[in-house]
Amino acid sequence: MPMSDATTTLMRLMALTDSAFPVGTFSFSNGLETAADTGLVHDAATLEAFARDVAHQAATTDGVAALHAWRSYRRDDFDGIVGADHQAILCKLNTEARLMSCRMGKKLAELHTHTAEDATVARWLAEIGTGRTPGTYPVAQGIVFAACGIGEHELFCSHQYGAVNTVLNAALRCVRVSHYDTQRILLRLSAETQALYAEAADMDCDDMYAFAPQLDILASLHEKGTKRLFMN
Amino acid sequence: MSFSAAKEMAPYLAEPKAMPVGSPGKTGFLRLGFELDGEGRSILRDLDRRAPLIVQQELYFDEGMPEMPCVYILSSGGPNVDGDRYEQRFTVREGAYAHVSTGAATKLAEMRYNYSGLRQRFELEAGAYLEYLPEPTIPCRHTRFIADTTIRIDPTATLFYAEIYMSGRKYYDRGEKFAYDILSVTTRAERPDGERLFREKFVIRPERRRPTTLGAMNGYDVFANAIVLTPPDAADRIWNRTDAFADDRRRLAAGITRLPNGCGLLYKALGDETGPVKRLVRNFCATVREEVKQRPMPDEFPWR
Repeated sequence: MPMSDATTTLMRLMALTDSAFPVGTFSFSNGLETAADTGLVHDAATLEAFARDVAHQAATTDGVAALHAWRSYRRDDFDGIVGADHQAILCKLNTEARLMSCRMGKKLAELHTHTAEDATVARWLAEIGTGRTPGTYPVAQGIVFAACGIGEHELFCSHQYGAVNTVLNAALRCVRVSHYDTQRILLRLSAETQALYAEAADMDCDDMYAFAPQLDILASLHEKGTKRLFMN
Repeated sequence: MSFSAAKEMAPYLAEPKAMPVGSPGKTGFLRLGFELDGEGRSILRDLDRRAPLIVQQELYFDEGMPEMPCVYILSSGGPNVDGDRYEQRFTVREGAYAHVSTGAATKLAEMRYNYSGLRQRFELEAGAYLEYLPEPTIPCRHTRFIADTTIRIDPTATLFYAEIYMSGRKYYDRGEKFAYDILSVTTRAERPDGERLFREKFVIRPERRRPTTLGAMNGYDVFANAIVLTPPDAADRIWNRTDAFADDRRRLAAGITRLPNGCGLLYKALGDETGPVKRLVRNFCATVREEVKQRPMPDEFPWR
């Protein structure tokens, strides 16, 4: 475990959570583009409802995978990391989301190995190449955060912040909302994150679940559609 | 998987006062085995059942595919009640094919102490084909229900597996929507060599979190989930022919996506009433049948 002072760790947490961190989160709209296109999301209230469902879905699926990857790293259990990775991909039932997750996961691991030394992250990256592990983004987050000495609670918050913030950033470009609206939504959803953490922290990989059929249908519309503002 | 491993059911483990869990009549069991007979006809070779689940015999009533055995699963017990544990096993041997449905909607009764569970296992050998297209499931006030389905399928076989869930007895009394305690539904698939293909789990606890939200049911009352496990070329053709849409005027929405590991497709539909959603699912099944068996699917019976 690399030892660093609290300030450095905090700086690292902020860098990893920043939407400008170059792994590609900025181009991911989580289906919002289609939701706006169909008129389902058209103002601050509908955007908030959409973002809340995205946050909940993220918490009980990828959030659980991230926490398990983090814990597996800490107890030096590489098979546990691979197990969380496989479970994350088995439960990701949308083509574009799977592609995006694997692209971002690999990117994050590459970035980390280029900027810091860590045997576990390097091994995981190599195993993506051999096909032994799929290389999902939440698992990359879990092990990179652990490698940086960041705690699991911070990891979960960063993960949730990422899920919500990508939606809100995209909304500024395709929904009639202001920066004030999106910041108000972010504030309210942030206040709900503790309850999500309490639920996710207690879940095994086998407990991962989601119920968001309308989000799934929107993602499918995006997959079938021709309009592209964001990559999804 | 054992139901006792499902943490979400932990609050519902009291012994029912009427009849304890495991009593005769509360442990329905069904084993259906389809295979080709000596003349190459697909038949129901194995039938083992325990009340309240009933299957009488296969019938050949499908006009689009008159060589296909069709089976309706019935329940002599009426609704699934508190503490019921059912198990259904379906095997389709090499090259055989079948259609399985239920005689009526599955009603899930009000539960006070325990829950009702359904464990299912599907096994499809090389070239096998199974349509599993039951009538909708209707939970009521304080229903607690868990379904756990495991599919083991050869890469050359095709399974169409659909479920339709209602929000509740929406026209009963003043309307009963999402008044149940919990629905927990898990479906997973694997290859005969154990390679895992996908796993879907949804847990709905309306009291804790209303499923009516924009990203979940979005105000709709009927939810359909259809899984198609089929070889990639057939999956591509089915995907190309299936529309994704959100039609607020007709109050219907549907979407299709590809499952992980190239194992098939996942279709979801939402609607206000069962009729239109059932039609969407049946049309989707017709596309699967046409692309896999090159045979048409007849219209549903007018009384269904």
